Amino acid sequence: MALFVVLRAAFGYLFLVLMVRIVGRRPGKQLTPFEFVLVFYLGGLTLTGMVGVEASLSSAVVQIITVALCHYVLAELRFRYDWVAQLLDGSPLILLEKKQWRTKTLSKMGIQDDDVMDMARGQGIKDLSGIKTAVLESFGEITIVPEEEGEE
Amino acid sequence: MGAQPFTSPVEDSVPKVGEGEKAIAVGENLEFQRKWWRFERVVWAVFLVILVCDVMGLLGRGWLAKAKATTPELTLDYERVARAGTPSVMTLTFGDGAIHEGKIRVYVSDSVVKPLGAQRIAPQPAMSMVGDGGITYTFDASRAPAVVQIALEPSFPGVHDFTVKVEGDQEIDGKVLVVP
Repeated sequence: MALFVVLRAAFGYLFLVLMVRIVGRRPGKQLTPFEFVLVFYLGGLTLTGMVGVEASLSSAVVQIITVALCHYVLAELRFRYDWVAQLLDGSPLILLEKKQWRTKTLSKMGIQDDDVMDMARGQGIKDLSGIKTAVLESFGEITIVPEEEGEE
Repeated sequence: MGAQPFTSPVEDSVPKVGEGEKAIAVGENLEFQRKWWRFERVVWAVFLVILVCDVMGLLGRGWLAKAKATTPELTLDYERVARAGTPSVMTLTFGDGAIHEGKIRVYVSDSVVKPLGAQRIAPQPAMSMVGDGGITYTFDASRAPAVVQIALEPSFPGVHDFTVKVEGDQEIDGKVLVVP
């Protein structure tokens, strides 16, 4: 049925958005090979359910339009409402502040001090004492604010 | 004169951490994040329940999905939960009393053909007759046990009733839940 083609596409898109959000963000600027597998595998499996037995061009066009429309609506809602943005992207999280680790945040997000130090080294910071604040951004990157000179 | 851009003054709208001039606009919302972590725990639990249900057959193609209905002359094995677009088999095993003059006549309701998507029937019936909201198949038969299989591939999600009846025997009424 034509309606099912649209519903399957919308469900597939929204379900993947939820899955990717639930699986969580990992620190780093690029996808690791491990995450590549996840992205392609999830995409491929969703596709089998979305396409079903209807492999016609018109079904594909309708499903692409449906996914595009869902994406547009989500992007629009994200822009208009802060709570939607937070729901979709999450909140930036402080990992280190005032020489204190946020231990619960680190364990919940699966981040170790090594991950923070990785990013700090990139900015020429020699050790953890040179970090004023470390923030896990909602897009997965760790931002380091260095300790200002004479501040320690 | 060129078009003027639309502008508005920059306001300090992102929540800050730290004090005074050294405060950094991070925009952390720990309260929301803690709720999200709780939600994630619930979602993982739900995922686990879905997996267990699937393995058990509550979503079809498993142990709990299998159903059996019997009358004196017919044993019907089928899947009470089937998946749309996925093959499923309905097996009819006839007793001696179902065979009259070397023939078995069995009636199946239309729902077996349409929503439950009957694809093939094995062996091929000697004769098929439509009417009474279903199809009556006639098979040549010798002695029991005699087995007929109907290959199904449901196309419509939902609960579908069906009826199977052997000539001179009680009818079997069943339901199949087709999940998307």
